[in-house]
Amino acid sequence: MRGFTGKEKVAVIQLMLILIGVTVVFFTCTATAQALLQVGTQAPEFSLKDIEGKEASLSQYSKSRGVALLFWSTWSANSPKALKKFEAFYRKYKDRGIQVIAINADNQALSNEDVEKLKKLVKDLDLTFPILLDRGLKTFHEYSTIALPSTVIISEGKIAYELAGLPLVGTEDMFDFLLVMAGEPPRKKFEPKYRPRHDAIADAGLARGFVKKKKYEMAYPLFLKAIEKDPQFTLPYIELAKLYETEGRNAEAEGILKKALSTGPENVVAASELGYLLAKTGRLQEATEILGKAAKVNSYTPAHYYLAYALGMGGRLKESLSAFEQALSLNPFEPTTYMLRAEVYEKHKMMKESASDYRKALELILKIKG
Amino acid sequence: MRVRAKVIKVKAGVFITSLFMSLCALMIVEAYAQQEGREKAEALSKEAAALFDEGNINKAIEVAGEAVKADPNSPEAYDQLGQMLLKDGKTDEAVKAFDSALNINPKLRTARTGKGLALLKKGDTTGAEAVLKEALTLNPYPSMAHYALGLVYEKLNDYEKAAAHFKEGIKTYKSGKK
Repeated sequence: MRGFTGKEKVAVIQLMLILIGVTVVFFTCTATAQALLQVGTQAPEFSLKDIEGKEASLSQYSKSRGVALLFWSTWSANSPKALKKFEAFYRKYKDRGIQVIAINADNQALSNEDVEKLKKLVKDLDLTFPILLDRGLKTFHEYSTIALPSTVIISEGKIAYELAGLPLVGTEDMFDFLLVMAGEPPRKKFEPKYRPRHDAIADAGLARGFVKKKKYEMAYPLFLKAIEKDPQFTLPYIELAKLYETEGRNAEAEGILKKALSTGPENVVAASELGYLLAKTGRLQEATEILGKAAKVNSYTPAHYYLAYALGMGGRLKESLSAFEQALSLNPFEPTTYMLRAEVYEKHKMMKESASDYRKALELILKIKG
Repeated sequence: MRVRAKVIKVKAGVFITSLFMSLCALMIVEAYAQQEGREKAEALSKEAAALFDEGNINKAIEVAGEAVKADPNSPEAYDQLGQMLLKDGKTDEAVKAFDSALNINPKLRTARTGKGLALLKKGDTTGAEAVLKEALTLNPYPSMAHYALGLVYEKLNDYEKAAAHFKEGIKTYKSGKK
């Protein structure tokens, strides 16, 4: 970047970030599932203790150019690899305003022994960035984390990038995004494609607020407005379909999900929700086909547990249980996986297993360590 | 005689008034002491909860015990102590703490559910079932009671009933009733 003035450099970096972010978010299959739902939205504030008991919050890093949150656990095979990669990056770029924070999501409750084990791992890996403990998994859930490890990159208080898992291509692209954030040139050339419109994000956000307050009549037009303003923005389709379903308007829910899919056939979130809706209404073959494709695309956990449900309800128990295992290996804290597997067991008259899974789901919901 | 009678009347009046004043002062002092005890217990309860969240269960139990001593009339303090003892596997002591809470407030749903869970852990499934059914009828937020009853039926190998209670627990939680 020789020959540029300071202001020009900042502008070029910003432009590059936008180009890379937008392109990577759109094309990295693994990131797509979460990214379409959260990129551009406000990053939830958190205040957690680190392994030494010191308090740390997101807002204390507000002056950083970017904050990379790495959600990880000791039981996920890829977490140590992710921690090592981030450590190498952090040592090189921490002075360029990039803060890495690792958030441990091992379990709902952590004993002193658990913390000692974490300390040993941190020492063994020689990690120098903050390691925070998410007791109760509040932050894990607030960031809608669907797999471990998962990375969320925050810039100016907003979610700029997300990556579930540690896929080969997706991870490289994510570090590229961080490199540009740190002022380095990108490794490859990106073409700008898509970024959700701000006014569509705002309308969808307002609508979600009305749904929370059960003011559904206020939410409908806002979701529709968001879709009209930005037909490629997935979130309002998904939320609107859920709202239709809540009110028993299944045909309209199906219609809106199909509309979402027509804007992007690779939209794994819309495909998953559509597949589940079809499975619930007994159209199991159609559901299995859609969900099978969605589950192959990436590590979006709902695609796996919905597929497992459709297979199980269709009598293919062995395949169903294997798909449930896949979903649990991505995220063992999702009560829906256990609830759906309990339903499948119930259908197959395996009541001992069914009761056990309903219990696990309720334990996760009530935050009881089983 | 009249003067003497008057003097006696005045003296009696003064005595009754001072007695009344002393009683009032005593009540005020006691109220202050109680208030102080309540505040101290609340602070200790908060400290115990924080220690418990950090996984420091032994220390949490110690501090929760201090909260009970600071305000022996607080059913919530006994309940908190019971929940921690239960978590630590000290079921007999937990039952005692829950009973103390229920003696003060028989409608304290968390203490009744906690007692049911403690009895279940002790292996008294019949006692647990009875207490938890009671908790369910008293309880406007029954997810936890359904959970505990589900555990009882799971222990009794009645998986149909167990599944039904766990499912009901999920349903009531989702409908906003914790």
